[in-house]
Amino acid sequence: MSSASPHSRALQTTLRALVEQLAVFLVLASAIFFALRLLPGDPATLILGDRAGEAERKVLRARLHFDEPLRVQYVHFLRNLSSLDFGESLRRPGMKVTRTLLTALGSTSLLACLSVFFAAIVGIISAVLSNGSWLGKNKRWVERSRLLVSAVPLLVLAPVVTYLVTCKMRLLPLPGDPDAGATGLLFAAGLLALPLSAQVGRVTHVALASQARLPFLLAVRARGGSEIRMWGMHALAPVLGPVVTVISTQLGALLGGALVLEKLFDRRGLGMLIVESYSSRDFPLLEAALIGAGALFIATQAMGRMAHLAIDPRVRGS
Amino acid sequence: MKTRRVIPLVMLLVLALVVANARGRNASELEPSRHLASPSAAFPLGCGEGGIDLLAALAVGVGKAILLAGAVSIVAMVLGTTLGAFAAQRRGWLERLVERASELTQAFPTIVLALVVVSSVKAPTRFHLAVVFSLTAWAGFARLALAETRVLREAAFIEASRALGRGDFALLLRHLLPQLMPVAGVQWGATAAGVVISEASLGFLGFIAPGEASLGELLGQGVVTMLRAPHILFVAAFGVLLTSSCLLLAGMAVAGESRSRAP
Repeated sequence: MSSASPHSRALQTTLRALVEQLAVFLVLASAIFFALRLLPGDPATLILGDRAGEAERKVLRARLHFDEPLRVQYVHFLRNLSSLDFGESLRRPGMKVTRTLLTALGSTSLLACLSVFFAAIVGIISAVLSNGSWLGKNKRWVERSRLLVSAVPLLVLAPVVTYLVTCKMRLLPLPGDPDAGATGLLFAAGLLALPLSAQVGRVTHVALASQARLPFLLAVRARGGSEIRMWGMHALAPVLGPVVTVISTQLGALLGGALVLEKLFDRRGLGMLIVESYSSRDFPLLEAALIGAGALFIATQAMGRMAHLAIDPRVRGS
Repeated sequence: MKTRRVIPLVMLLVLALVVANARGRNASELEPSRHLASPSAAFPLGCGEGGIDLLAALAVGVGKAILLAGAVSIVAMVLGTTLGAFAAQRRGWLERLVERASELTQAFPTIVLALVVVSSVKAPTRFHLAVVFSLTAWAGFARLALAETRVLREAAFIEASRALGRGDFALLLRHLLPQLMPVAGVQWGATAAGVVISEASLGFLGFIAPGEASLGELLGQGVVTMLRAPHILFVAAFGVLLTSSCLLLAGMAVAGESRSRAP
């Protein structure tokens, strides 16, 4: 394939990556399928409670196809998965699970995307500030605040900051306020972005510092380029790769944080869907929501890798 | 050894156990007249929902969190470090397999995995939680041990020991594992702190049996009653922060040594 043009090679890599992601997704979805059925405990009893009669349980088992052999169930599951049809909710008959799942996925992805965006901007700005000479001696405060933010877990930080901002200072509407709208979303995304921005800031700071002694930056300065031009444009471009990498390794943690923040802010996202379907024992909805969370994670990982390939031509060669 | 760094953790655990023993009953005792009461002489940290004693609830929660996190990360440390070091020593397919598996496991969000397992059992207990967290915690240790052993296996003293006739297993026990201790120690602290956060997150989301005192449940209460009784939120947040920081610090106890002994 040495004669292939770069375009067809890029296409090939993309296709291979796509097949790989699909395989991982299939493994994950199957793991969820088997975990929910094979772990000790009869799902029908789990849903109906101990006091339900045998007849009732039998009806439910038939409805959810639990009475069929596992092989048949699995084939059904794969067929439904390929057409993205997860059936209807148990608790609210007529409610299509797929539509509920897509709404929740949209809400969670919006929150995650916004906070990645915030974290990248804040992290890069803090790294540029702590490398440049604008702040003088005060530079170390940038570093200290990064350290402080990354030392405090989001689970502690988010509720306390929310209390201070919404209850004490009354700057923003209370969490769960239906009129909060965009302000609430931006606030939640900002909170979620804090730990990630500290990580991005630290990595970018080190990467920028290692660029500082390279001749091409000296050349920029010799040509009369300003400091902001030197750090913000010339030094930043080659370190974008590490920035993307650090973000994509932190995406799993970000997703976990998003689930917690959804509960805190009463946002109807994936986390709340899992919690609600669990506590109401809505089996089809729970299964779909867990698969959705896994799919979201796999998709974000793949996007991180693609972004790295798109940004940094040096990694495309191999 | 910087033993000083373990002192906060030990003190916190002892204090939590003593307080939990002395007033543990109050942690689940309901008394409507004390509902959301502010701190007073009899109840130094105030009362929570239904009048539970917050000091007792905090002590019980902290004690349970430390025990769970400590146990999980010790199991994960022993399994992960041994597996990683052994795989790197053997090289070949085993090394590649362990590397890929630990990478995948580490990238996967613990909380999603925990949700899968916890939601498939009827009444999740602390044993279930320990199993779930151990399923992911080993990966970090394995990756570190792999990376460190790759450097160590080329070292002259390993080669000398091999030439003297020591087998793979004896080499692992006598030379590799002791060298890995400092790195594994720091990872132990980080893993334990992570387990505390994960447990609290699950409790906060409402996945641990309600009524059982835990840091996460307390945090959930605090958020719900944020407007009327902010002291609950602060007690819970302080508990989580204190527990995770003490564990992190304790992990660094063996780290101080590494620089002076490195080959």
